[in-house]
Amino acid sequence: MRAGWSQETWRLVGILALSLVIGLVIGRVRDCLLVGLAVVLALNLYNLHQFLAWLGASEGLKPRDAPGVWGEIYHHVYLLQRRNRKRKRKLAKLLAQFQLSAEAMPDAAVALGEGWDIRWFNEAATRLLGLRPGQDAGSSIRNLLRNPDFHAYLSAGEFDRSVEIGAPGHLGRRLSVRIIPFAGNQRLLLAQDVTDRYRLERIRRDFVANASHELRTPLTVIAGFVENMRHDDTAAARHWARPLALMEQQAARMQRIVEDLLLLSGLESGQAVTDAQDVDVGALIHDIREEAIAAGGPDAPSLIAEVTAEARLRGGSQYLRSAFTNLVMNAVQHTPAGAKVWIRWRLDGDRGVFEVQDTGEGIPAEHIPRLTERFYRVDVARSRRRGGTGLGLAIVKHVLQNHDGQLEIESEVGVGSTFRCVFPSARLVFSANLDEQRKAAG
Amino acid sequence: MSQSDLLHHYSQQFNQELEEIRTNVLAMGGLVEQQLEEALNALVSGDVGHGERVVANDYQVNALDVQIDERCTVILARRQPTASDLRLVLVVIKTTADLERIGDEAKRVARMAIRLGSADHSRGLFLEIEHLGTLVRGMLNKALDTYARMDVVAALEVAKEDQRIDREYENVMRQAITYMMEDPRSIPFVLDIIWSARALERIGDRCRNIAEYVIYFVKGKDVRHTNLEQIEEELIRR
Repeated sequence: MRAGWSQETWRLVGILALSLVIGLVIGRVRDCLLVGLAVVLALNLYNLHQFLAWLGASEGLKPRDAPGVWGEIYHHVYLLQRRNRKRKRKLAKLLAQFQLSAEAMPDAAVALGEGWDIRWFNEAATRLLGLRPGQDAGSSIRNLLRNPDFHAYLSAGEFDRSVEIGAPGHLGRRLSVRIIPFAGNQRLLLAQDVTDRYRLERIRRDFVANASHELRTPLTVIAGFVENMRHDDTAAARHWARPLALMEQQAARMQRIVEDLLLLSGLESGQAVTDAQDVDVGALIHDIREEAIAAGGPDAPSLIAEVTAEARLRGGSQYLRSAFTNLVMNAVQHTPAGAKVWIRWRLDGDRGVFEVQDTGEGIPAEHIPRLTERFYRVDVARSRRRGGTGLGLAIVKHVLQNHDGQLEIESEVGVGSTFRCVFPSARLVFSANLDEQRKAAG
Repeated sequence: MSQSDLLHHYSQQFNQELEEIRTNVLAMGGLVEQQLEEALNALVSGDVGHGERVVANDYQVNALDVQIDERCTVILARRQPTASDLRLVLVVIKTTADLERIGDEAKRVARMAIRLGSADHSRGLFLEIEHLGTLVRGMLNKALDTYARMDVVAALEVAKEDQRIDREYENVMRQAITYMMEDPRSIPFVLDIIWSARALERIGDRCRNIAEYVIYFVKGKDVRHTNLEQIEEELIRR
């Protein structure tokens, strides 16, 4: 730096001194100084021109010598450029590595822009989603993945879950697709081939449904004959009275289990959605209460119905009845005589809540998360003795899933439990003359 | 006149409107694809519930048809499009009509499935029709893909595929006739199968129509009612 500047200064001083001397000799100092300055300017302009030409060279810059400060400039620009080139090479290598690893992913990955336009996708996306490299960048993913469920998923905007769709162009192949938002408005679409899992799930479902269906007929026959024998008034029948009573009881229980399993598999295939109607929950609660009082006998707790919401619930009436009945019967079974059970249908904000609250013995906290599993029992011996199938809360959970609802359970040992079914406002139907209708009917 | 041309338009909003109706048509196509898939599942597996769902969901297809037509009317009236924009709107109107018909045919197949599902039949003919159904589903998917990409080469391929479907249809018919001659009691059942096959074959024709609209939009050339060799020659000459 120093050397360049001093060289530059000495040159300027030299030229000016020379022109001053010549000016003194020929007696025209001012003109000669002007000429000297013009020479300095011309030299600098020439160097500038050279520098620009050097910068503009298409291929990489070569180091170059120049007098004075210009040499320094050349040197520094050259260093800067070399550093940049090295960095660029490193970045390109990184990018290539990243792309290679993305290509190696077995799941399809598609980077999407703000308007669902495709920015980039990997090789698996070509295979699973049928995207074409070089052709599909820039077009909207909605045009190429046309599944209605996928479109609904995109417009719903709830990306914390995934959606299962059939792979486009591949019959029978199932994909689990998920959108992951990142960096503001960008999104990453991940699609995983879940054909095997889907198939296994279906085999399991079909097996349960078929097995229950096949068991139903033999059970009916057995139960029928046992009942006949029990009412037979012969010595043999009297001798076998107790075993026969037990057989009848157990056959009835098995029938209930089979019915519940069939109901569950029906729920799993999503039947309730197709036969939706507006269900009058108040009337339903009234029916269930009567039923529970009749079934409970003298040991039953007192049942109090509180209907404050004037909304109907859109859904499958049979399924809702079965879910609500299960909750009420559970409460009745676990509450001693003389205690109270409340059945409520009320509004919580804009959501509808069906609630069963009892003052029974309560459920220890560690059991609560597992209550809705099939055949899960808090107290195995007692539950069987009371004739439970172990499927009641699983049915409740599935009915609620089919109706976009949620099951909330609160319980404290020795105080009581509250089971709450919460339905979103989209499921509620308000009509002004509901009360009049009910009056007219009852 | 490819997709990138669609994107470079003088009016950003008009451009968006055009893209939107195109996406709507494809969404409708997706729904129709699903309807056809479920109808075929119902027919092949004898699942009455699937069939009933198809029949119940047909109104959605019709609703989309009306909705898209309305949007096209608004665009024609307000924007008075010309050249490729006009062709796009025309093509959208025609495509929705074809898709709506495909939806109707799917419903017809579903109705047959409901009728056939309740009775027990020999599965031989079902295999044949399953094969035909697979072909038709593939063709519908490809036709909509060409529509999404506005790809003339692929459109030509889809148009060609129609011939394969026609051959497969004749196959099913021959089989059906054999069945009826062997056992006259099977005639009512076989007739239902024939109706389903006919519906599927029609869907193939309509897919070909959609492919031809794509060629019309991109090349500005009406290629309906001409044979394939002529179409190819025309396209190469241009």
